[in-house]
Amino acid sequence: MKDKEYGIITFKSTHFAIKAESVFGSQSINTRTIPVPREISRSCGLAIRFDLDDMEKVDQIISEFNLDIDGIYKVIKGDNLNKVEKLN
Amino acid sequence: MKKIEVDARGQACPKPVIMTKKELDNIEEGIIITIVDNEVAKNNVSKLANSLGFEYKVDEGENEYLITIIKGKGEVKEEEKAKGAVSGDKVVVFSSNTMGKGSEELGKVLIKSFIYTLTETNPYPATLIFYNGGVHLTCEGSPVLEDLKKLEDEGVEIISCGTCLDYFNIKDKLQVGQISNMYTIYDKMANAGNIINIG
Repeated sequence: MKDKEYGIITFKSTHFAIKAESVFGSQSINTRTIPVPREISRSCGLAIRFDLDDMEKVDQIISEFNLDIDGIYKVIKGDNLNKVEKLN
Repeated sequence: MKKIEVDARGQACPKPVIMTKKELDNIEEGIIITIVDNEVAKNNVSKLANSLGFEYKVDEGENEYLITIIKGKGEVKEEEKAKGAVSGDKVVVFSSNTMGKGSEELGKVLIKSFIYTLTETNPYPATLIFYNGGVHLTCEGSPVLEDLKKLEDEGVEIISCGTCLDYFNIKDKLQVGQISNMYTIYDKMANAGNIINIG
């Protein structure tokens, strides 16, 4: 997975995050469950990390499985702080 | 400028980093030349110099690498001083393949999240110890292998309890780190300045 820039999906509840983890786990794209970066204060604390190249596929899976998400962000890693942009 | 040579050839990880850090801490300013005999050590010492904000260069010799680090006066900020590749005396112990009690499903997610966080936070602990159900995390099928391999590459020592691997019959499934016995496990814990227990 790319380390410098990646996308993350956040959730309003841990249950939604765990459900999303199992959905994404059964798909062909590379994702992982990570703690929500400190720069994003809202949401439940668990996020799904994905490669930004897979953005389209991610959107498709979210609507196909009707996943209840809070937001989608782009994370750009910095030495101390990450830069975070809200995408959705 | 003062020149100090650190011969870290034949030293196992994370020794070269610790030896270099010690000399760097001892001097106000000067040049430290660390000699190592493998690429992992070269990378880790370079990372140390980089994380401390010192200028450094690497020269490759026959079966050895020379890392020359220049420490200038007043160059390091306190905050950066605290950062290093590996922290000398921090040990994290995993006694289970889940984190906390209450829900196994949640515990499995939490432990992934915890180990990911270890890879994202400097300095890294010196040693990770896995025993009882914790050994499932270092074996085939573990969801955290990628992160543990990354930590091992950074010089973090990873130890799995041999008795436990044997009990679960997964000794041949070990994917990362070394197999060890209770003497080593106790030794690492006894000499740790700081132990974090996860289970």
